[in-house]
Amino acid sequence: MTQPVIRPRLISAEIMKIRTTRAWWIFLGIFTLFSAVALLNNFLSHHYQLYPQQDLADRAQALAQAAEARTPAGAAAIAASMMTSGQFLTVLIAMLLGIHVVTSEIAQRTVTATFLVTPRRERVIVAKLAAAGAFGALFWLITTVLDGVVTPVFMASQHISASLTGQGVIRAVLLGLLAFLLWAAFGLGLGVVMRSQVASVVAGIAIYAGGFAVVELVCHGLYDVYHQAWLLAAPVIAPAVAAQVMITPAPAFPHAPPQWTGAVIMAGYALALTAAGIVQIRRHDIS
Amino acid sequence: MVILLAVLVAGGLVWLARRNRHETLAPVTDAESEVPGQPYAGQPIPAEQRPRGRIDVRGLTKEYRGAKVVDDVSFVAEPGQVTGFLGPNGAGKTTTLRMLLGLVEPTAGVATIGGARYVDLERPALRVGAVLEASGAHEGRTGRDHLRILCRAAGIPLARADTVLAAVGLTRAAGRAAGDYSLGMRQRLGVAAALLGDPQVLVLDEPGNGLDPEGIRWMRELLRALAAGGRTVLVSSHQLAEMEQFADALVIIAAGRVAATGTLASVVGGHPDLEAAFLDLTAGQGGIR
Repeated sequence: MTQPVIRPRLISAEIMKIRTTRAWWIFLGIFTLFSAVALLNNFLSHHYQLYPQQDLADRAQALAQAAEARTPAGAAAIAASMMTSGQFLTVLIAMLLGIHVVTSEIAQRTVTATFLVTPRRERVIVAKLAAAGAFGALFWLITTVLDGVVTPVFMASQHISASLTGQGVIRAVLLGLLAFLLWAAFGLGLGVVMRSQVASVVAGIAIYAGGFAVVELVCHGLYDVYHQAWLLAAPVIAPAVAAQVMITPAPAFPHAPPQWTGAVIMAGYALALTAAGIVQIRRHDIS
Repeated sequence: MVILLAVLVAGGLVWLARRNRHETLAPVTDAESEVPGQPYAGQPIPAEQRPRGRIDVRGLTKEYRGAKVVDDVSFVAEPGQVTGFLGPNGAGKTTTLRMLLGLVEPTAGVATIGGARYVDLERPALRVGAVLEASGAHEGRTGRDHLRILCRAAGIPLARADTVLAAVGLTRAAGRAAGDYSLGMRQRLGVAAALLGDPQVLVLDEPGNGLDPEGIRWMRELLRALAAGGRTVLVSSHQLAEMEQFADALVIIAAGRVAATGTLASVVGGHPDLEAAFLDLTAGQGGIR
């Protein structure tokens, strides 16, 4: 009889591993700080959107944009933006936690004890995937609660109103949850494949922060030569771009593909990396 | 801005990882540990269950880049006995034990415990306890948390962690980070982990490393008591005088090949002692190749 690969007790053990070291508190501290800074930044940026400064060069255009922002649709967009404040930055922490979940075992040489208790290594990796996802969801919950407390205060202080339970806001918040889950899974997959803590952190950040520019440069360069319209949508193959497309209701960039494309591509990366990591770690000698 | 923050976070994580790995910790004496008076013996294994603990290694071979570090190694470790696995440094002892425990894939051969490969055991911690490297615990995690995590993964009640901590004399140090433990305390934490499932088979790689004379005596009495209860104890070592005191059977390995197997008396044969027999059997076959 085939034994199930998902083991609740292994998931529980992996969650215990994360929360019983100092690194977890550091992650939590940095994450909360990033969330607060991003929220403050969003707060100020939307404030100046609604109340343009007097000395702006193109004040007429700014005032027109402010008037648009005060319409019901504009206010709903601001509410959705406030409720997902700083996601671009904070999902990075979820990815780094995903990397840490795997690579700290190798760096600390605890992997021997782990695989002695559970010799079926794919079960350990699946449990780690679930644990990383659980902490990704926890991060999302923390940032959503923070945003949920501040957004009504902001809306009231700026004299605009929009429902925080409207379809647009709920959709943005739930897509945010998906982003946290997928980036945590992406980090875990990267960690399993690369195994080195330093190398996977560097690669993860390069993919996250630099991937957009490189892929866009290449795709636009190719477009200049071949003039194929699909090349302008192709940057979505970069994980950071795919995630941005996934969480942005309006096109994230000109010629951007539909939102679901971003979700499928991100999920594809996370699953492919984890599967490749499982194949690799099953063959790897723990010596 | 994003890149700057990302670099800061990454730098912090790398620093933390390196600090955890290389930090020179304040010296800790064994003041927070106490060697228990009575060695832990566990529940005796009924006679009819004892064959389930038989270790059978057949033709194990491991090649790395064409070089054989373990070459056709075969031996048996019987229940109710302490089997000493001896060899010079680099002779292939650790690789053999790791192949037995499913951590290293053999190039050829098979090793079974009670007729099953380790990787095929559904909950191996309940059958086999292993100590392969000092503690195997995360340096920033407490000894108790380390054991509780293993309990949770193995499906053993968490309270068992405190029982085995007491059995190895680490109750008072249970709440301290494993990174603060002395080498001897880490070895005992490793033994505690191996005892969590009250297993029928124990596999230990150089368990005497870092132990003081009192700790070595404690380890000897512990392994003797466990074997007396019907357990299979396979212990690698290069401390010949120590092994001569308590091993029932011996396997001597040199340059990756078995040089001798049998009872202590048969291996020593006409030599004055085990050391003389060992040096004769392993002459010219130092482990470092």
